[in-house]
Amino acid sequence: MNPRLVILDVVARPLYVVVLLASLVVLLRGHNEPGGGFIAGLVAVTASVLWALAHGPAAAEARLPFRSPLILSAVGVALGVVSGLPALLFGDAFLTHLWGAIPLGFTELKVSTVLVFDVGVYLCVWGALAGYALSLLEADLTPADDERPEPRR
Amino acid sequence: MTGDPMAQHAAANPDDAMSVAARAAFVLAPLGLFVLVAWVLATKTLPFDLAWPWIPSLGIEFRFRIDGLAALMLLMITGIGTAVFVYAGGYLAGDPNQRRLFWMLVLFMVAMVGCVTADDLFVLFLFWEATSLTSFMLVGYSHARAESRKAAQQALLVTGTGGLALLAGFIVLAQATGTTRISDIVEIVPTLGETPALATALGLILVGAFTKSAQFPFHFWLPNAMAAPTPVSAYLHSATMVKLGVFLLARLDPAFGEWPLWEWTLKIVGSVTAAWGMVLALRERDLKRILAWSTVATLGTLVMLVGLRGEGAAIAVGALLLAHGLYKAPLFFVAGNIDHGTGTRVIDRLGGLRRQMPWTAAAALLAGASMAGMPLSFGYIVKDVILEAKTAVDVFTFAKAANTVFGSIAVAVAGVAAIRVFWLHPGVNEACDAHECGPSLIGPPLILALLGITLGLFPFYVEDLIAMAGVAMIPGTEVPVIGLSLAAGPVLGSLAVTLAVGVGIYLLWDPLHQRFERIAARTGRIGMASQYERSLTGIPAFAAAVTRRVQDGRLPSYVGLVAASAAVAIVVAIGQLVASGAAAWAAIAWPGLGFAGAAALVIAGALVAPFVRDRVVLLLAVGLVGFGSALLFVFAGAPDVAWTQFTVETVFVIVVAAVLLGLKRLGRGASVAEPRFRPLALGVSVVLGAAVAALLMLATAGPFDATLPEWFGRTSVPEAYGRNVVNVILVDFRALDTLGEIAVVLLSLLAALPLVGALRRRRASAGDVR
Repeated sequence: MNPRLVILDVVARPLYVVVLLASLVVLLRGHNEPGGGFIAGLVAVTASVLWALAHGPAAAEARLPFRSPLILSAVGVALGVVSGLPALLFGDAFLTHLWGAIPLGFTELKVSTVLVFDVGVYLCVWGALAGYALSLLEADLTPADDERPEPRR
Repeated sequence: MTGDPMAQHAAANPDDAMSVAARAAFVLAPLGLFVLVAWVLATKTLPFDLAWPWIPSLGIEFRFRIDGLAALMLLMITGIGTAVFVYAGGYLAGDPNQRRLFWMLVLFMVAMVGCVTADDLFVLFLFWEATSLTSFMLVGYSHARAESRKAAQQALLVTGTGGLALLAGFIVLAQATGTTRISDIVEIVPTLGETPALATALGLILVGAFTKSAQFPFHFWLPNAMAAPTPVSAYLHSATMVKLGVFLLARLDPAFGEWPLWEWTLKIVGSVTAAWGMVLALRERDLKRILAWSTVATLGTLVMLVGLRGEGAAIAVGALLLAHGLYKAPLFFVAGNIDHGTGTRVIDRLGGLRRQMPWTAAAALLAGASMAGMPLSFGYIVKDVILEAKTAVDVFTFAKAANTVFGSIAVAVAGVAAIRVFWLHPGVNEACDAHECGPSLIGPPLILALLGITLGLFPFYVEDLIAMAGVAMIPGTEVPVIGLSLAAGPVLGSLAVTLAVGVGIYLLWDPLHQRFERIAARTGRIGMASQYERSLTGIPAFAAAVTRRVQDGRLPSYVGLVAASAAVAIVVAIGQLVASGAAAWAAIAWPGLGFAGAAALVIAGALVAPFVRDRVVLLLAVGLVGFGSALLFVFAGAPDVAWTQFTVETVFVIVVAAVLLGLKRLGRGASVAEPRFRPLALGVSVVLGAAVAALLMLATAGPFDATLPEWFGRTSVPEAYGRNVVNVILVDFRALDTLGEIAVVLLSLLAALPLVGALRRRRASAGDVR
């Protein structure tokens, strides 16, 4: 067993949720305030790294959407491509973003292909950098599991 | 179409073989083009121009021009092409890959047509390279044989290297003249005089042309290319592609013709190639290779003629281009027929074939007569023209001697190809089961050879064509009236000499061959062919040695190399700027408290880093530099950048710290270079830092161009409904860039995962061993 920190173990669960929520906030406010998909993705990566330190890289990987950094990142890129397609229906150039508003009575909900694109960036960055970080952590911690110095020969 | 060849080349799978109709359809391609060219010649006045825009920003157009020279080449490409397509249909009947061969031939023909009609340097280069590539595919047609693959690779490497030189020469030429249009260039260059730039361009273009036309010292690839099927050899390596080099030289003759450098290079290289090619023909026992060396020699003669001054030489180039196509292509066909009918091309095993192969023998005799320059053939008239061209200008003795060698051995080679294998043979004829080929194999050589004789009897048919080709090389002159005639003049005397020597060589072919073979065996090691072989193994070895030195697999050396080169580049650039007196330095202002604090963090981290021995402390010091610069961004009004930097630094420090701690706990810290004081690294860092600081002070001295920030600030909200300009640029204005970037991020992960995985496996197995 790894000598893991009990405090980190306990704190990790709520902190993971909080950091991910924060990353969502950063993502959504990005269009008008500092933030956006790229930074939000990086914030999400810190959450994954936190979980990896507390429970191991494999557990952190299992917590990712789609349970795989590669698929997560690929889905992000795919969302980026998809967000550019509706413009083609209207005869505009690829990635010309469209805006719409859904009235909700007291206020209106703005929806746009920009948001889809930004979510794509978010997922791609989260997946790719989490992939790097987790695999690096795993690369050096894996031998630690069978470390127990019992020479086999 | 043909009975016996079909049986001989029975396809493994009959469904793959092409039907007669399909082969006939392919013949329509060159035939149609031939008719089209003839129609253009008959109805339009030359030069005939065509153009479409291609790269307007560089002034490059798809510009084509048919003048006399192009017309002559076009008629040969399409006319001999028709014969080749007919011949290939019979020669490879039943071959499962025949369709591929036909498509490659069509592509090749299109490339050739584009090349000879192009009126833009880069259009010409494009098609030039296309001929090299299709030639590679055609020479390597029998890809199962190692010999074919080697020959194809050699042809591609030699002509491809020449192509690179040619491209460089074209670029220099286009820069020097300010245009890429060839017809303008040939007018501009004579007005510029002999500048170094033009001389460089000339040298590079000569390399390109010489490799393509197999001139000494690049002559060795052409006989090896005989590994191609015979129709391909007849088309590419006698009639058309190898003439491209000569064609290019003829195209540029009006531009450089007055230069002594041009004149003497062409005369000397051409003469040496002509003489040496002919002598090397004596070494061979394979009929096709003998013909190939005589082709090399003819190309040398053509190059020499381009180098000669005067109208006569220009006309001689046109006449020899045509005559050579008309006799060499049929002789190749004859060699193919012999191969087809007897299964061998080695002249020792052949003899007395006239009984079994009467039609092929007739074609060989007619073409051989033209090659030997016998009276009543087109070759005789060309000989006359060449002689006239040489007597008109002062030709140095070596060229004369080379020409005598060339002429004599041409007679001997013609004798070998036309007489020895069909009539006489000194030894035993081993191929007694020879048989004549079908009409599609007899027709093409017979018709082309007959054409050579017809033009010998009625030369005025092509007078205008050859005169126009000559005019294309000497612009501004009227189309001359040239009397191609049967006049017996001094040419008969010289013919008698070459004939006598040639017959002598023909009779003594075997003893000469043996003697020469012995000499060549000794000189072979220093020959160009073995130099090529040596470079083929030497270049990869050299590259591997350099790679091992420069890329030793240690990250510190990579980083050090990059940092040192960057420092040198910046220092040199700043030095030049200061030396030119244009340098203005930004004034140093006292920073605000925030800036000062952030800078203090960076400096503290930087000062600590070189002197600590503990990895984790080193990591924290480096992290301090990162956080300090993130703080700088905060005070510089770039919160997004600062935020990004903070998160990246955090993740970096956490991950690396975890890895380091893991290593330390495992006791494997020693596997990574120990942090210690490194004076050289410190020196490089200090110089690079100082250089970047100086660069910044230079860069910020000038007024700030606010066009872009203002535009984005103005349009961000109305057009993209966002107040965060940075994010709006990322996701909207430059969304395609961002899409590309996230795709790269994904790809880098794809590349990194297997690497880390391999590392993990290695660690795991190392752990097992321990």
